[in-house]
Amino acid sequence: MASLITCPHCGVRPKEEFAIRGDASRGRPEPMDSDEAWHDYVYVRANPRGRTQEHWHHVAGCRRFLVVERDTATHEVYSVVDAAEFALRATR
Amino acid sequence: MVRDYNNRHALEQKLRSAPVAPAADHLMVGHWRTMALVLARADREEAVRRAIASQPDLSMRFAAPGEWLVVSEVEAPSGLVRRLEELCDGGAYVVDQSDGRVVFRITGPNVRSILAKGIGLDLHPATFTLGGSANVLCGHVPVNLARTDEDTFELIVPRSYAESLFDDLMRMGLAFDLTAAFSD
Repeated sequence: MASLITCPHCGVRPKEEFAIRGDASRGRPEPMDSDEAWHDYVYVRANPRGRTQEHWHHVAGCRRFLVVERDTATHEVYSVVDAAEFALRATR
Repeated sequence: MVRDYNNRHALEQKLRSAPVAPAADHLMVGHWRTMALVLARADREEAVRRAIASQPDLSMRFAAPGEWLVVSEVEAPSGLVRRLEELCDGGAYVVDQSDGRVVFRITGPNVRSILAKGIGLDLHPATFTLGGSANVLCGHVPVNLARTDEDTFELIVPRSYAESLFDDLMRMGLAFDLTAAFSD
């Protein structure tokens, strides 16, 4: 696992300060969507090899949610952005 | 039923023995320090930051974007909260933390070597500059670390972690003969 994360608010920090929440690339279904869609969203996990986007929570630092883009095979970190910034970019 | 509550410092048990003569590396714990958490409203962050930074007797510690721990050496808790609310002019939420947190001040020539045993942050004077502050982990304890002087750092921890952090710091400083005492 990537051991150093460059938090946009705190700088370079060890991974022990973070909690990982999971896939950031899939959106939350609408409240009235089918049970299948919600089941998939809540329970079904992909286990990708390669480049992924994940929500990381900087628990012991600024306590902000971040979106970390990293490679699960090489442990390389490509980018780290604040989750609010990430959502803003997605809506544009 | 009537109960009497005693106002007792979190480290009263640990630091009960007679005060020791401070060695070169020394850990000081203030009995009562006044501090408050200030959380700025969205889009008011810069105005709040400037308002508090203009007060020379208030020390701002970075807690998160738009959020600071403000420490005062002179104010009483209620006075600090009232003053901060006036300064921020409705642009921030102010929460008194004076009884909820404990301030450790560690000073001496080996202070960086001591802290490096528990903190995964570059503490080199050129990187962690004077007046800098950050939320970090010390071992497994979340602390707010600030550099207040050339070789002086302040660690602010939640009260319930104070005894644990105290034991950790004393062990980290064992090789440098770190001493500890109440500063007042």
